[in-house]
This record gives sequence, C-alpha cells and structure tokens, in this order.
Amino acid sequence: MYDPKFLEELRKSFSDWETGTLKDRLAAVKENRAEFTSGSGDLITERIYTPLDAGDTDFQKDIGFPGQYPFTRGIDPVGYRAFHSPLGFYAGYGSGESANKRYRQLYAAGSRDIGLAFDLPTQLGMDSDDPLAAGEVGKVGLAVDTAADLERALKGIPLTGFKTGTVGNCIGPWALAIFLVVCERSKLQPSQIGIRIQNDPFKEYTGRGTYIFNPSVAVDLASDVVEYMYKNVPSWEPQWSCTTTMRWGGCTASQEVGFGIANLLCYAEAAMEKGVNPEDFIPRVDLHMSSDNDLFEEVAKFRAVRRLWAKIASPRFNTRDPRVLALRLSTYTAGDKLTAQEPLNNVIRSTMHVLASMLAGIDHITTAAYDEALALPTFQSTRLASLTKHILNNECCIGNTVDPLAGSYYIESLTNEMEEKGRYWFDQVQDMGGARAAIDNGFYLKEMAKGRYRYQREIESGQRQVIGVNKFVQDEKISIPLFKGDEKGEAKQVARLNKARAKRNKTRLKSSLDALARTAESKAKGSTVNIVPSILEAVRADATEGEIFGVLRNVFGQYRPPSVF
Amino acid sequence: MSSASTVRRQFFDLWEYYMSKKKIRVLIAKPGLDGHETGAKIIARALMEAGMEIIYTGARQTPEMIVRTAIEEDVDVLGLSILSGAHKELCSRIIKLFEDEGIINFPIIVGGIIPDVDVPACKKMGVLEVFGPGTTTSRVADYIKGLAAKTS
Repeated sequence: MYDPKFLEELRKSFSDWETGTLKDRLAAVKENRAEFTSGSGDLITERIYTPLDAGDTDFQKDIGFPGQYPFTRGIDPVGYRAFHSPLGFYAGYGSGESANKRYRQLYAAGSRDIGLAFDLPTQLGMDSDDPLAAGEVGKVGLAVDTAADLERALKGIPLTGFKTGTVGNCIGPWALAIFLVVCERSKLQPSQIGIRIQNDPFKEYTGRGTYIFNPSVAVDLASDVVEYMYKNVPSWEPQWSCTTTMRWGGCTASQEVGFGIANLLCYAEAAMEKGVNPEDFIPRVDLHMSSDNDLFEEVAKFRAVRRLWAKIASPRFNTRDPRVLALRLSTYTAGDKLTAQEPLNNVIRSTMHVLASMLAGIDHITTAAYDEALALPTFQSTRLASLTKHILNNECCIGNTVDPLAGSYYIESLTNEMEEKGRYWFDQVQDMGGARAAIDNGFYLKEMAKGRYRYQREIESGQRQVIGVNKFVQDEKISIPLFKGDEKGEAKQVARLNKARAKRNKTRLKSSLDALARTAESKAKGSTVNIVPSILEAVRADATEGEIFGVLRNVFGQYRPPSVF
Repeated sequence: MSSASTVRRQFFDLWEYYMSKKKIRVLIAKPGLDGHETGAKIIARALMEAGMEIIYTGARQTPEMIVRTAIEEDVDVLGLSILSGAHKELCSRIIKLFEDEGIINFPIIVGGIIPDVDVPACKKMGVLEVFGPGTTTSRVADYIKGLAAKTS
C-alpha cells in the first residue's frame, strides 16, 4: 500500500521518536501495565500504530468497497444510511396469557419484531408436566406444549407484516411446524409474516446446554428445516449460526472468528446435501456473534470474519457469487460482561457493545438489558436496551458513513491479525474433521473452559479490573426494580395441557405419531426423507411437543456430553 | 522398643498423616434444565486447584440423581449451580430427598443467580450459604474449608 522509500523513512523517524520523545516521557511516568492486551486477551496492543503496522494492507484487495469482495467493509453498500431496523425485542415468560400481555405491550410501543423466548422444557422437547420440568415451566420464557399455546401468546397481535421467531435450537423442525400451524389456523399466508428460527444445535453443546440428540442427528434435523423452508416458505429464515455463548463461555475473539466460520460451513454443507445450494442458503442465514468489551478488537473481529469467510467460501464452493461470499452478521451484546454489582453501570457497557457493532456495520443488533445479570429483564430495561442503537444512529450520527474506522493503522492492523488468528483456529477445527468433530471430541469445550478460567483468575488476581467488581467497589447495595415472574404459570399450564390432551381425536393422533416414528426410523437407517412434514401432521393432530420428541428420542437416543472443566 | 510396636507406631503415623491430608470431597451439581455450565465448571476447577476432590455431574440432573450421587460418592459438601430461577423448588426438593434417606442438615451451598430477596428463604429451608455473581472462587474454597474444619 505504501511506497518502500516512504516506509524506510518512517522506520527511521519511528526509531527517533522511540529513543527521543518516548524515552523521555517514560523516564517520568510509569505505564499502568507492562504489556497491554486486547479485551479477549487475543492480541498484544502496541503503544501506537503507524503505516508500518498496516504496511502490507492493499486497499483494493483487503479493504475495498462495502458490498464487494472481500466484504471487509460490510455487505451493504449504504450501511446504516438506509437503517430501518425496527424496535426489536426478545421476550416471553409464564404461560400464554402473561407472555401475551408483554407482547401486546411491546407491539403497542411500536415493535414489529419480537423474538419469542421459550422456557427450558420447551427448548428441550419436553411437556410442561414432565418430571424434569418441575419448577422450570414459564421461568426463562414462554411455555409451549401445543400450537394452541403459541396462538394464545400471539393473540390480538396483527401478524401481517410482523416478524417473530424463536431461538430454539434443537427443536427446529417442531418450531417450524407450530409456526406453520398458527398460520394455517389464522388463515395467514406464510409469506405475510416473517419467521426466523435459530435452529443452531452447535450452540447447545457449547453454551446453553439444551442439546437433545447427538451432533450428527441434530445437524441432520436442523438441515431438514433449511430444506423445507427453501422449498415451501422461502421468505422465512431457517438458521443462524451462533458464537455468542461460545464467547461468553470463554472463547477469545479470534476463536469466535475461526469456530464461527467452521460451524457455518458445516451447516452450509449439510444444506447442500439436501439440495439447497450455498447461493440460496447463505443469504437466508446470519453468523450471530457477541459484541464485546474491547471496542477496537470487536470492530476488527467483525471486519475480519467477513473477509475470512469470503476468502474461505470462494474456493470451497468454487464461486465468486456475492450471495455466497457476503456474510451477514448479527450480534447480541455481551451479556456475560454485565455485572450484578451496580447494575446501572451495565447501560454504559451495553452502549459500547452496540457502538462496536454499529461501527462495524452489523446488520442486526440485539442489546442485552442492564438487569440481565440479576433476573429476567423488565419491560423498561428491555425498552432501554432496544433504544440504544436508535439513539446512537439518530442522535450521534454513527451511521452517517459506512465503515468509518477503515484506514486506521490500528484497525487495519488488528483486522489483519484477527483474520490470521481466526484462520489458525478454523484450520485446527478443519484438521480434526470439522465442527461436529470439535464438539464430539470436546475440543470446543476445552478451549472455552481454558479461556473462562483464565478470565476468572485475572479478575481474582486484579490483573483485569472490572468496575464495581474488583475496582471502586461499593459496599452499599444499589437496588433496582426487578422483574417478577408468573408464579402461578406452571400449575395453569399443566392443567391446560391435560385438558388439551383429553380433547383430541385419538385415532388421528396415534396415526400421526406412528407415521412420525416410521419417518424417524428410516432416517436413522440413512434415508434422506425430511422430518418436517411428519412433525407438521402430528402438530396438526394436536400432539404435544413432549409426545413428538418422545417418538424421536426413542429412535435417536439422548446425547450425553463429555465432562470437561 | 520392640519392633512390633515400632511398626504399629509407624502405621499410626501414616494413618494420622493420611487422615489429616484426606481431601475434602465436593459434588458440584447442576439441577434442573439449565445448561449454562460456565460457573459450575470454574468453581469445579478452582476447588480442585485448592486441593479438593471434585465430582461434577454435568448439566440437567434431577434432584434424585444428585442426592444419589452425593450419597454414593460419600461427599462432604454439595454445591448446586442454579441460574434458571427454579432455585426454591430445586433446593427444597433436594433437602427433602436427603431427609427421606435419613440425612438431616447435609451441607449444601448454592451459586448462581439467586435474587437477594430469595436468599433468606433458601437458608431457612436448610441451604448453608448462597454465593451470588461476583463471588471469588477463593471465597468459596475458604468457606468449604471452614465447613470441613468445623465438622471433622
């Protein structure tokens, strides 16, 4: 990028500065640390950056223009200049009525994009009266046993033009089926509503832990959703590949890059096996990442992951098609960095997390609420979280220009380093056989445990300082209003479930579940038959979620993960 | 001194040495359906490095499974990690199951996201201590060592 003669001269003036101005200053002050590292601990951060650090960056080849290969600057040539992101929320608790109340409240406040949080039994394919579900029904989200529960939760909300979905990952085919049945019953064309299903089983082996089947079965079922949507409801979004919980569980920024690409690639290849080509798959999916504390490291991470994806996907799929090479990113701000101590401080943290995403031109940002470290968020904290990006965009002019940090010696140098390290982790995973192998052999879990333990040690030794936790600690507790759940929700939901079970046409129910068992068995024998139509029939016959997954568990078995800590 | 008594003396020295060095056994368990294991794993590793023997159940354990493991593994302390909000239901169930086995006041400590207002209720049902977010691993280790010193 630079003339060699210029760099030669620069090297000389840099050395003069070091031995003169800098040396004098360092004789008078001591820097806070002997070595400064990036927030995730991935990179050593230099005192200053100059063209020497980004010297081999080629503008045309490495930076270029937004919307063009290698997409370092984003996939949209106009970025936030055409920002119409709705007020988006992720919410839900209790049984249908209480969740419905919150959804209506959000809708009335202008939101047309509400992700539905499901409780843990629902995310695990269990009914609300399963012995393991006791005490968990409606706790971290809405309890759904049958399609009627979903209808109840969405009651009174005009669904045309509405966008919703679920982060359920191991229940993808069933989640798709209940949304389809809700459309059928409310006489809605699926294309009139936007549905997004996370459908990312890898996330559950490495993060939240709501895995059901082994990784191979889980990927197969998830790609059935991709195939079904592609053929029948192409406007819906079948999958996001998510690295947030891996990051929160201890991965570094560059591991997020490498592991994220490895995971997405595995899904893209699974989709291809089902006849969905990358140019039809990639534009419908997101790589969903954490937006973390170190503003610059994060911006570099996002720029690097787009560039690295383009470079890896091009030879892999033998294409220059921008639909395949342009990687759409979405983020969830780093919930793990929010503290229970002095929770209002979290507003500042989340704002910076959102800023990092916006400076990197992220297409879809979800902000953690400041009270998340203490309880489920309240309506007010959720609203504040969602408004953050709008304040930054409308009032602080963050989105006036696309990729505003491009060309900064620091950012370009970090982006290069992040790409290089991301490539290293990607290669590691590929060498052991790809993402499925990295889960099966405990590699991801080991890397996460290592990182998280290091982080905890750094805090306990004071090497890493967190305000309110180990620096400027305040003894007096600050109390904020906390969300109170629906205490009676569980009993109500269980009673309703029993009533729903009694009302069904037993013959239709049995034949649909028998047919599902046959489909699952033939899949277990290697058939490529899609599971969704059989599940859809069972949902139409009012089979409960637990009954449907009971059939699947009988055939595919229940997964037990390796214990790594 | 006869050689037999020397041998016996040596044996008792060894026995005492062994007893004094006997490691505290801790079961770290995640009851319920929540699978966020980060906190449980950090504690497990930190306690191990503090010289204790750790048995970690993994996620998604029923109260029955946890109580059975605690008894079979003969642990000194049970540490529960709960983030889902189901702490009251889960703790009372586990304590009840211990009581059904004739074990009263089994040492149980809890970590995770437990709202302050729920802490007294947990302690009243028999939980010894609740460690919220921001607790250092060394504080938990010291607490367990204190417990072991009191009971041995």
